[in-house]
Amino acid sequence: MSEQQVTQEQNESQEQQVAQEQVPERFSLFPGCIAKNMYPSIEKSTRIVFEKIGIELLDHKYSCCPAPGVFRGYDRNTHMTLGVRNLVMANQDGVDVLTICNGCYGSLWEANHMFKKSKENQEFVNKMLEKIGLSYDGSTEVYHFADILHKHLDDIKANKEIDLGLKVAIHYGCHYLRPSEKHPDINPEAPHIVEDIVEALGCESLEFKNKLSCCGAGGGVWSGAEDVALKILDDKMNKIEEVGADCVVNICPFCHLQLDQGQAKLKTHKVPVLHLSELIGLAFGVRPKHLAMHTHMVSTRDIEKKVKKAKKESD
Amino acid sequence: MSQEAAVEEKKKDEYELDEFQKIMDQSNILKCVQCGKCTAGCPAGRESRIRIRELIHLAHEGKDLKDAPELWYCTTCYNCQERCPKGVDTTEAVIFLRNRAVRKGHHNFPDLHVTAITSLRDQGDGFPLSPEVEKIRSVIGLPRKPIDLAHDEEFLKDFQKLIDELGILDLVKEAQAQKKEEEEGEEDE
Repeated sequence: MSEQQVTQEQNESQEQQVAQEQVPERFSLFPGCIAKNMYPSIEKSTRIVFEKIGIELLDHKYSCCPAPGVFRGYDRNTHMTLGVRNLVMANQDGVDVLTICNGCYGSLWEANHMFKKSKENQEFVNKMLEKIGLSYDGSTEVYHFADILHKHLDDIKANKEIDLGLKVAIHYGCHYLRPSEKHPDINPEAPHIVEDIVEALGCESLEFKNKLSCCGAGGGVWSGAEDVALKILDDKMNKIEEVGADCVVNICPFCHLQLDQGQAKLKTHKVPVLHLSELIGLAFGVRPKHLAMHTHMVSTRDIEKKVKKAKKESD
Repeated sequence: MSQEAAVEEKKKDEYELDEFQKIMDQSNILKCVQCGKCTAGCPAGRESRIRIRELIHLAHEGKDLKDAPELWYCTTCYNCQERCPKGVDTTEAVIFLRNRAVRKGHHNFPDLHVTAITSLRDQGDGFPLSPEVEKIRSVIGLPRKPIDLAHDEEFLKDFQKLIDELGILDLVKEAQAQKKEEEEGEEDE
């Protein structure tokens, strides 16, 4: 490569950088029922983390995504239409949607996908939306926050104040990975997105059996057949305890609810449960009290102590 | 059977055939070779009596699944669908079968499902906000009430209009009424 070419490429990449800096990244935050109404610590830490890495989050008048387990199982068209109504809210402001929950991601992604791929669906949804004066053209994209964070690994490292040094068991949850059409570039049997992020925070990601398996709560089973949901969770927690994890890190408030409340119901496990946003918040030096971590059913006190110790070592 | 009843019966059969055809077309279940890979990787199958292979087989044969409780044990984890060597959309098939069971009005609805549907219709969220969490939100510097549809009367009213138009709650109520009627019928016998 000639010197001139190299200079030209450098110039281009600098120009791109300037362009990126000029237009700040913006998304409409779709917090989802569980984060905003049951685990505000997840919503709070998400807002802190995204602000620190320079991504603006907007608010819109969203309903429940609606939850895929119950609503899609009862009536698919209702699920699709209400999902699209949510997308219209962001669409009106010309922004894309950022989800922090696999359920919301799955619902909204699928509603969008079903809408785009079939004319029959487009007609059905728009006929329904017309009744409340809305319409949709399919131009909004739905993103999962883990994917966006992964693109900003350098910003995460730059904002990290504490090398956490925790041994974490990653729980992906089903509807991030599957159906794999959502992520053509990720191997659903061997993903490496959340691993990269926790490693950037100074954590060790543990390997364990059935790491990519279900938490047991999806498909309406959490509310419809609790015994089945808890048996699946028990099996999962056994595998996590076997490898000596300090905590379970998830990317879905519904899995979070199942992992946290489910352990309290089972009474046989007590591994602290952290949403990825909470873990990053801790590494950014946010005090656990400011994140309302005490709202977790399984105490996070041991984690807080370890983080405090790691902070002293970092200082 | 009177002629009228026979015509009614035939219409019902045709409707059911149509529905099955739709399920098969949309989820490729006719391609199933009953290899069992779906069941082998099913987390719910290890802990309950759901067998995805069997559900697909019964759907394939046109058997009625309206009263099968195991239809509701699937967590929709999509392991089976991802791993199916014949490209059958097994999880999608389960969802179609559930929708059909609801339409047929024979499903034993778990109370919490009905609560979630009612809560979505009335409050815009499947899991509504509690006064306790409202307080915690304000303590950690979030808006006490989230900026959302649930806390905007006008948006909520429109949303309720939309959901009533879609009729999901009517489906549940009809199914519950039918179930009650049948149970009373059984008691009489």
